[in-house]
Amino acid sequence: MDPDERRIVDSRPVQRLRAVHQLALSYLIYPGATHRRFEHSLGVMELAGRVFDVITDDVHLPDQARDEFAEHLTATQKPYWRRVVRIAALCHDIGHIPFSHGVEHDLLPGGHEQLTRRLIESDFLPLHEITPPVRSDDVVKLAVGAKGLKEHFFSPWERILAEIIVGDAFGVDRIDYLLRDSYHAGVAYGRFDHYRLIDSLRVLPSPQEQDLTIGIDEGGLNSAEALLLARYFMFTQVYFHPVRLIFDRHLSDFMRERMFAEGYPLQLSEHLRVTDNEVLASMSVAVENAGEAGHESAHRVMTRSHYKRIYSRDKADIRSNPDATRVLFDALEEQFPGKLRLVSSTMRGGLAEDFPVRTSNGTVVPAIDQSDVLEKLPDIRVEYIFISPDLREPSGEWIKNNKKRVLGS
Amino acid sequence: MDRLERATIIVELVKRLRAHGSWAGETHVQKAAYFLETLTKVPLGYEFILYRYGPFSFELRDDLAAMRADGLLEFRFQGPSYGPSLVMGESAPVLEKTFTRLTERYISQIEFVCTRLGSMGVEELERVGTALLVSQQSPDLADTSVAERVRHLKPHVTEVDAARAAHFVAKVEQEAREQLP
Repeated sequence: MDPDERRIVDSRPVQRLRAVHQLALSYLIYPGATHRRFEHSLGVMELAGRVFDVITDDVHLPDQARDEFAEHLTATQKPYWRRVVRIAALCHDIGHIPFSHGVEHDLLPGGHEQLTRRLIESDFLPLHEITPPVRSDDVVKLAVGAKGLKEHFFSPWERILAEIIVGDAFGVDRIDYLLRDSYHAGVAYGRFDHYRLIDSLRVLPSPQEQDLTIGIDEGGLNSAEALLLARYFMFTQVYFHPVRLIFDRHLSDFMRERMFAEGYPLQLSEHLRVTDNEVLASMSVAVENAGEAGHESAHRVMTRSHYKRIYSRDKADIRSNPDATRVLFDALEEQFPGKLRLVSSTMRGGLAEDFPVRTSNGTVVPAIDQSDVLEKLPDIRVEYIFISPDLREPSGEWIKNNKKRVLGS
Repeated sequence: MDRLERATIIVELVKRLRAHGSWAGETHVQKAAYFLETLTKVPLGYEFILYRYGPFSFELRDDLAAMRADGLLEFRFQGPSYGPSLVMGESAPVLEKTFTRLTERYISQIEFVCTRLGSMGVEELERVGTALLVSQQSPDLADTSVAERVRHLKPHVTEVDAARAAHFVAKVEQEAREQLP
């Protein structure tokens, strides 16, 4: 890290990430998972630079990429873009609100990307003070990616560089969080050979279309499969853990009831002032007195008296009614009003992963032609109904007696 | 539309794409849904951006994953080089039965799109999808300008193919105005 990059690291938006947990309240289930977004951001920065070096190495570039990207690969432009990639990687999470993904859906439905964009464009981040200066527009595009900047046009070069950071298949954000989260959570699921993976990444033309994208040399395919397996197991075991998901709901209830009744503050200075520390301090006060706003939610988190799971998505139920969980939830809500929570999440499986593989004879083929593992990895969907602990037994009994009738099965 | 209403339309779209000879992979469905939403005004509620292979919706991508998980669609792997196809899943008939009137309401739009896109491969879909996106953003552009813009956005597209895509889009826009409700 050079002195200019250190200035960005030392800026307030990046330093704030020292006080934002990477996995929200997952440490209540996996006690070691207390790591913060700050170290994740440093990891993403380091890996982004490594991937940039591998995929823009002249010996690895296909002719199409050498032609299309010629203007960006000159002796002056390439170092500029390497710096942009590293800074964008460092800044990709600065818009996260306290406890980040755990509560974002409820408190900042539009997502954190717009806060990230505005912070990068603001004076809080000293991009104009480094030499040569870095254009904030370039950093924004790579840090946020096309998904978070729907109104922006991405050139093929910008799209490839954004893929380095936030790409679905091999984004270094994903590579870092899987490795880091599994290490801190103390589970082995998230581990894979990221050295081999990164060394094997290439810019390749998609086999069916001709758009350039990030793919992999055949020799690295097993490490790519290991990454996707790691993702599958981390989602099923850690990220979609039912207790973690219900703690997220109690936490976002608390934050809304006590701190952000008017919505999360969109002013940058206000955003920079609030971290997990302020939320936890406020929770400590609220839990002490039943009259305090947010008391019940604070109590549920701080004494682990969270809502209990009474129903999990059931394939047989789905077959008879595609909306089974929602229908059952609505029926339960009539019996036990205001005491239930429905939580759902989805993650795509292996066949939806669409990346090219360059075989040993030089042809480029879809990954699924080469990998039986991808074909076997299913989509994941979890749906849970939770209820207040004191109603667990009667609600369970009610489901047993009424589910068939309610679902029409 | 809510989640299941959107799913009903997408299932019907997949079914009819396949009936018109489409491979019906995710890319085909993405482009067909873009035409359905943008050109024929079926209010699916997806936001499309210019991405790899032309217009793309992240929300639709997530919905397709949820639909597969719910057994409304499933992937069928049909041999090398073309990627998996989407086919109706075991739960799809329940959905069709539940939302018959919704399907009937939009059937002419779905058929309009599938008739025109069903025989196209992903390369051609990328070109016509991008041309439609350009045309929708700047409705007053002449065909030649649309083609130029397609080439600017997608440098690997040849002049001839860009011109064909622009001409195709102008034609279907005209047909949509004349034939659809």
